[in-house]
Amino acid sequence: MSASTAKPLLSLKGISKSFPGVKALQNVHLDLYPGEIHALMGENGAGKSTLLKVMFGAYSADEGAFELSGEPVSIRGPVDALHKGISMVHQELSLVPQLSAIQNIVLGWEKSVAGFIDWSAARREALAALARLDFQGNPHVPVSRLSVGQQQTVELARAIAANAKIIILDEPTASLSTKESEKLFSILRELRADGHALVYVSHRLAEVFDLADRATVLRDGQYVGTLLRGPDLNETSLVKMMVGRSLEDFAIQHEATLGAVALKVDGLARNGVFQNVSFEVRRGEIVGMAGMVGAGRTEVARCIAGADRIDAGSVSVNGKALSLSSPSDAVRAGIAFLTEDRKHQGLALRMSLAKNATLTRVPTRMGFINRTKQAADAKSALASVGARMPTTRLAGQLSGGNQQKVVLAKWLLSGCDIFIFDEPTRGIDVGAKAEIYALMRDLADKGAAILMISSDLPEVLRMSDRVLVMREGTLSGEVARAEATEERIIAFASGGNTWQS
Amino acid sequence: MAKLEAANASPGAAATEKWSVRRLFSEWRELGIIAALIMTVLVFTAIDPEFLSSYNLVNIVLQASVTAILAMAVTFVIITGGIDLSIGTALALSAVVSGLLMSQGYPLPVVVLGTLATGALAGLFNGTIITLSGITPFVVTLGSMSIFSGLALIVSGGQTVYGIPPEFSDLLAGKIGPIPTPIVIAFVVLVVSSVVMRMTKLGEYLIALGGAREVARLAGIKVGFYTAIAYVISSSLAAVGAMVTVGRLGAADPALGADLLLPAIAAAVMGGADLNGGEGSMLGAVIGALLIATLQAGLTFLNVQAFYQQVAIGVVIILALLSNRLQKA
Repeated sequence: MSASTAKPLLSLKGISKSFPGVKALQNVHLDLYPGEIHALMGENGAGKSTLLKVMFGAYSADEGAFELSGEPVSIRGPVDALHKGISMVHQELSLVPQLSAIQNIVLGWEKSVAGFIDWSAARREALAALARLDFQGNPHVPVSRLSVGQQQTVELARAIAANAKIIILDEPTASLSTKESEKLFSILRELRADGHALVYVSHRLAEVFDLADRATVLRDGQYVGTLLRGPDLNETSLVKMMVGRSLEDFAIQHEATLGAVALKVDGLARNGVFQNVSFEVRRGEIVGMAGMVGAGRTEVARCIAGADRIDAGSVSVNGKALSLSSPSDAVRAGIAFLTEDRKHQGLALRMSLAKNATLTRVPTRMGFINRTKQAADAKSALASVGARMPTTRLAGQLSGGNQQKVVLAKWLLSGCDIFIFDEPTRGIDVGAKAEIYALMRDLADKGAAILMISSDLPEVLRMSDRVLVMREGTLSGEVARAEATEERIIAFASGGNTWQS
Repeated sequence: MAKLEAANASPGAAATEKWSVRRLFSEWRELGIIAALIMTVLVFTAIDPEFLSSYNLVNIVLQASVTAILAMAVTFVIITGGIDLSIGTALALSAVVSGLLMSQGYPLPVVVLGTLATGALAGLFNGTIITLSGITPFVVTLGSMSIFSGLALIVSGGQTVYGIPPEFSDLLAGKIGPIPTPIVIAFVVLVVSSVVMRMTKLGEYLIALGGAREVARLAGIKVGFYTAIAYVISSSLAAVGAMVTVGRLGAADPALGADLLLPAIAAAVMGGADLNGGEGSMLGAVIGALLIATLQAGLTFLNVQAFYQQVAIGVVIILALLSNRLQKA
């Protein structure tokens, strides 16, 4: 590491960018040296995405200097950025699902001989890049058949095949399992050793401490500071820089007062996905559900919520078995399902907050929608989740944390009292995370029954009164709050142990 | 925290105060198509001031009335993210049934109910198949387009139905006060459709399931039911268009439908309906229909050959969609 003496590969000086009515970036600095992993930190809405887009040429800055190896340049768009050695691995993967890994890697770069794609050259280059990343999947089948982790490796291979020295990673571990994440980290370390400069965006602080040589923090579009790896780079200082205050109330000390069984799942199965899943959730209780990605947790939730067909077993609410043929049956029984994918399953992005919040219960008067009440209902529900925003704003304009609050507001208005949260804080920054946690706890204290699916172990440990663990489509363990440790959960999730209460 | 909120609140507040043409166009989606219509009228008037005579204007609106009704019909479906290619032949089928009922001397309420029921059944057929089978609306309605056309020919024996009693023609193609009845009917359809879309739960659900089907489904909205309703409304409105057509022509031609489909979809889309669903405007669809009728009338007025008219209208439709797109971006 010679970060202090070497010449920066990329240097951003005094970058500003405005959108109508919003100053997204103001006077932001960032130096990127060869052979470093540089974490870019900040809450949602802090300007990280905008800065990434400026680096990648998707936006042009209003002000400021953009230098590559000391030369001022202007980036005219993502393709130009790639030609200049800057590549981006997007949070939502941007591969063409129907094409193979090889086809995806050379997409847009195909060398042609007499108008035909030179597949042998393409295959050679792509396979070389994949081999460097120790890719284990089949490079010839459509990438949609690969695991998320493998797809991400393909994206990285794209960057390497394009000979990009600068690789930007936007929340690369958001949808990876622990094992896949570990693999990614070792790849990133190798790339660093080879002199690549990596920009790394993540909400998971542990990863940042693990990987980053330096961390630059943005807040409200402004440059707050850069921390070097060392004693200064710790949770307290980072969080304080990110949110502008320390997070004393982050850990929630709590004794749940348990009520009657609200949700009972008995022998639930969906062919080929999961089998024989039985558990109960009581009122006042938050039950965590841990497990690897692909263990079948979301699928169980979808069946309880009526979104997928159940092949065997039953779901009862307050002791009464439900006949679930569609989500409307579950909603009527009081089950709210807050999906992991808020953009496609949680919110109608082109509709206003008022319409989104009241979607399950549109207030009407004599057959017509009562717009005044609709706005008032939405406003009070949004206020109760700590989101004070004009209800006329469109849902698509909000940051991840606020989107989750709107989804929560919607389900509060629905009158449901059994909540299934699937990855409730995925893609949400630290400040909003604490608020979501407090809201969930508050709901439980008011008598709601909560099932929380999460891949974030610290979150599972922090929030759950009881932890269920799934592995390969079965419930592999249950751990009481007092005995819950990361090691025990991982043991159940990865098959070290079988059932034990 | 207080500072943060103030910072968050100010852009919104500033935006409501700041007025700009761009903002006006993006807020009021119909403005673009209205501007296009006014420009078209102005261009034709500049070429020949006679174009603006009141007879001609009323005539254009009259010509546009059936296209406008069909454009609104298909807008209901497009908003849900679907498409109804069968509205033209659903109109033909309803027209034939209507013509037969009229010519056999049934009283008005029977004629109206019979025609509307025909349309509603056609829509129910589309909606049920789409909901239950999961086949894309494009394919289902492509099939039913042919089915309805065939049924129209079967019911009419392949012959145009004549012998419409004059009282029906007088009623459907006459005037209410100074205004031709078809215009009044189209206007009533516009008002009712706009109210349904903007002010009722049904309208809100149709938009929600077009823009975010899975979100709506998981929120407990019965998406299958509401999808089917959209097709029932669409074909029922086609039946309304059928009665107007039969009244105006004094006959019911089973081969009517084919020419009506494309202008209707073009008008709906020009008026702001998003073929991906989630957006659409009844007023926009009507103005789109007026724009097409104005072009036809203007070009005919200027003695442009029919072949060239088709090319010109096609070009204008593409231009209008292009400007819609730019307006959104």
